[in-house]
Amino acid sequence: MRVHKVLTIAKRDYIATVRTKAFLFGLVVAPILFGGGSIGMSFLNGKPDLADRHIAIIDHTGVVAGALVSAVREKNERELFDKKTHRQIEARYVFEVIAPAADPASSKDQLLALSGRVRSKRLVAFLEIGKDALRPPKPGDDADDFDLGTSKRTNPDTGVAYYTNAGGIDEMRRWLSGPISDGVRLARLTQFGIDIERNRDLAASVRIDGLSLLERDEKTGAVREARKRSELEVLVPAFTAVVLVMIVMVGSAPMLQSVTQDKSQRIVETLLGAASPFELMTGKVLGSVGVSVTSSLFYVIAGVAAVNALGVAGLLPLTIIPWFYAYLLTDVVMLCAFAAALGACCGTPQDAQNFAIVLLMPVLLPAFMLVTVLRQPNGALATAMSLVPPFTPILMLLRQALPSGVPAWQPWVGLAGALAFAAVTVWAASRIFRVAILMQGKPPKLAEAVRWALKG
Amino acid sequence: MDAVQISHVTKTFGSVTAVDGLSLTVPQGSIYGFIGPNGSGKTTTMRMIVNIFYPDRGEIRLFGDGRPETSTDFIGYLPEERGLYQRMTVQALLEFYGELRSGHGVKAEVANWLERLGLASRASDKVETLSKGMTQKVQFIATVIPEPKLLILDEPFSGLDPVSAEAIRSAILDLRRRGVTIILSTHDMHLAESLCDYILMIFRGRKVLDGTLTSIQDQYGEDTIRVTADGGVAAVESLPGVEQIRDLGQVQELRLTRGADPQEALRALVAKARVTSFSLTKPSLYDIFMRIAGPAAEEANHASA
Repeated sequence: MRVHKVLTIAKRDYIATVRTKAFLFGLVVAPILFGGGSIGMSFLNGKPDLADRHIAIIDHTGVVAGALVSAVREKNERELFDKKTHRQIEARYVFEVIAPAADPASSKDQLLALSGRVRSKRLVAFLEIGKDALRPPKPGDDADDFDLGTSKRTNPDTGVAYYTNAGGIDEMRRWLSGPISDGVRLARLTQFGIDIERNRDLAASVRIDGLSLLERDEKTGAVREARKRSELEVLVPAFTAVVLVMIVMVGSAPMLQSVTQDKSQRIVETLLGAASPFELMTGKVLGSVGVSVTSSLFYVIAGVAAVNALGVAGLLPLTIIPWFYAYLLTDVVMLCAFAAALGACCGTPQDAQNFAIVLLMPVLLPAFMLVTVLRQPNGALATAMSLVPPFTPILMLLRQALPSGVPAWQPWVGLAGALAFAAVTVWAASRIFRVAILMQGKPPKLAEAVRWALKG
Repeated sequence: MDAVQISHVTKTFGSVTAVDGLSLTVPQGSIYGFIGPNGSGKTTTMRMIVNIFYPDRGEIRLFGDGRPETSTDFIGYLPEERGLYQRMTVQALLEFYGELRSGHGVKAEVANWLERLGLASRASDKVETLSKGMTQKVQFIATVIPEPKLLILDEPFSGLDPVSAEAIRSAILDLRRRGVTIILSTHDMHLAESLCDYILMIFRGRKVLDGTLTSIQDQYGEDTIRVTADGGVAAVESLPGVEQIRDLGQVQELRLTRGADPQEALRALVAKARVTSFSLTKPSLYDIFMRIAGPAAEEANHASA
């Protein structure tokens, strides 16, 4: 391989990309959209909907509703106002206790009428406390109480039914689960003749404070106290992984278009008169790596400045940066080689559009798994998936960046696997590229491309 | 030393044999013209010389022992299907191609060639703003910077207006004078006759003609009569010893059967019409081409098959 040819091709492709308005626009606009979205979200989080939330209760036990209303009132008093500023920060929950209908037929009408009130926004939800709600479930009771086929309740007399049309993530249900449990518990205690007013501690909920681990300062030997854990401890690593996804996509996706364009505009044959297919592909891949590194520098510098400005620099150790670049380069080389082979197989820009989703699969699949990994970073699934070479760069980086960390051997094994996979991808892609780049007409079938990769 | 030595080269694509056992020697400093119908194997042969395709069998040597894969730095290749980066300026594009081949800056050479082909004023314009003729000139310059030892031009005059074609023709001759070996393909038989030192005709992947124009014509002898007579083509019909008539409008070209006497044909013609001119010549390259690959030859091939 003649290095000067590779570098000349890489330089041209690099300049051609970074000088485009699309690149500059993406470089600046993507973080603005991203950052703007985050700022917007935090702004909206800081401006919650404070309108009263009206909830109706049908209590078949006759005793739980009162206790529930009392538990909610306590929670309202505890959480409704900011302790320092005394400004209201949560919506108030207002309950309306409704007597149960006399017979099953009118009970259905009653539920239908309440559903109508929820739809017309006069209520946000309504609760129906079953007549056996005070009876705790016994071992062997069906925990689910739903018919798998119809999704209807199989035993409406037990537990509490919560009817709502709230969309998306139902924060209200999470908020209510505490007071409802407290209310039922209070009613049970009352049923057993325990004077709640004199024994309030029996029903009191216990607060759980999330804390970081203690650690010893290696220099001074002093023990660092545990600190309150912040959501940012998860958000900053997640953001780092998302940035990697973004840079890899921005760096590799144009490659498909570029190769297809060179092919359809008949530029390739002139280039092949001066450089071998492998040199041409390597040059193009190197150009894309340059583009990715350029955009990554922008994001990394901006990211480091941002975490410093927010005072959360400690949440992302700087030791993650070399890993970030190792994964970035591996992923971009792998995907760009793949894109070059795909682009060589395309006859028209239309074909390239059809193949784009195939190209981005190695980035999109791990991106879809980010939440799974965040839930259990060291679970078997997260560990296994982060050791699958095409997914390693994104998933292993996320796991490394999380406070739980990973065993020291895993990043090395993952990186070695990813590098080996990238090498095989480049090798196979160059063989497909060489055969396909001068072919015209319909794209080859998968079996044909595999045969080219294996036999050259 | 020969510039190109092709020995028994075969190239197949699936079930199609594009080039079949081709052997060829291209002397250094010559202009070698490849002719043949579309799909006969000219472009495939050129691509193998440039190392874009690899032969299935046989071998290609360049300037002695050089292999195509190690020789692309001193080969300039102008493909038949041309394309340039449309958004680059002419200057940047030519510097890119020059650096790609040579590994060093080629600013001075670019300036010289732009001046020579009348494009100096367009150096900072984007390629997409050029006319088709200008674009083809730019493509030609990209092929000859830096000056190659071997220049391979696939249909270099295709689509060019006479002025641009003359500029390219003159540049090719100048390069040949400076010792550059040139292989070009063309469908223009007059151009091949006037420009090329040697001519190779490939037909269905096989070499059917190879040599100087004279040596090729000598294989056929003086079997062609060019005649101008009152009555045009009607006057030359049914002449004795004439097996084929080609009507060129003002002139008719007659091909004699082997061993026929041209005097007998002349006597018969004079008896029918007033003859303005009558000359006995060797067949033109066009005529030879048509004898090998024209419809009549195709029919004969089918009949014998």
